[in-house]
Amino acid sequence: MEALFYIFSIIAIVSALMVILVKSPLTSALYIILCFFALAGFYILLNMQFLAAMQIMVYAGAIAVIIVLVIMLLNLAKIKGAIKDFHQIAISIIAIGLFTLEVILYLNAAGEKKPTGIYTNTVINKIGNTQIIGEFLFTKYVFPFEVASILLLVAVIGAYIFAKK
Amino acid sequence: MNVNDYLIVATIIFCIGALGVLIRKNLITIFLSLELMFNAANLGFVAVSEYLNLISGDIFVIFIMVVAAAEAAILLGIAIAFYREKGTINIDDANELKF
Repeated sequence: MEALFYIFSIIAIVSALMVILVKSPLTSALYIILCFFALAGFYILLNMQFLAAMQIMVYAGAIAVIIVLVIMLLNLAKIKGAIKDFHQIAISIIAIGLFTLEVILYLNAAGEKKPTGIYTNTVINKIGNTQIIGEFLFTKYVFPFEVASILLLVAVIGAYIFAKK
Repeated sequence: MNVNDYLIVATIIFCIGALGVLIRKNLITIFLSLELMFNAANLGFVAVSEYLNLISGDIFVIFIMVVAAAEAAILLGIAIAFYREKGTINIDDANELKF
């Protein structure tokens, strides 16, 4: 388990770095698919197999394919200067590096908190991973579920209006 | 594994995504960096939810996936409309609203 965690984290972090460093958008899209698969591995380590399957289907399947399709439609060969100038990059890297350091320091300083819920790994495995998510989604969280369907409808109409000539 | 290790990995991926939004000019790459930030937040939700023995965080991840899919459709529609207008997707050319 420990070895798998380190393998997944190295793959995820290196592929995330390559997404923002490589020049070609298509290569970026392929690296982000790799990053999605590494994150799906994290979900399996965290005993959430249903979310791992959704991650691969929705992110690596649907969203990445839409991105690659749009890259195919647009002619991106003539974009010059894909990265901003040195001054802006230096400020950005210092700010983001400080933020990372602060969050990691905060995480190390945070105290222990006792688990409050009843859904331990043995309970989840006894009921079934998919079943427990389905029960929550259609009983306690049914109103956000309906709102999400309306949001998807609005997104479809909006995308149609934007892409229409 | 400790929950802190997962949260540190999520923090690093989130910051890489934020850095990508700041330093890149290509609209598609900025969109990919946004997706990285979404995924880092998802990893944090799942890790904390597993640590506290709750399900709510995992349900929230599903809703974040819905929002990410809707955002993908809208933003790629904007990219296509912008490319039709300008012939490029460099964000420095999006200066129509500048005074």
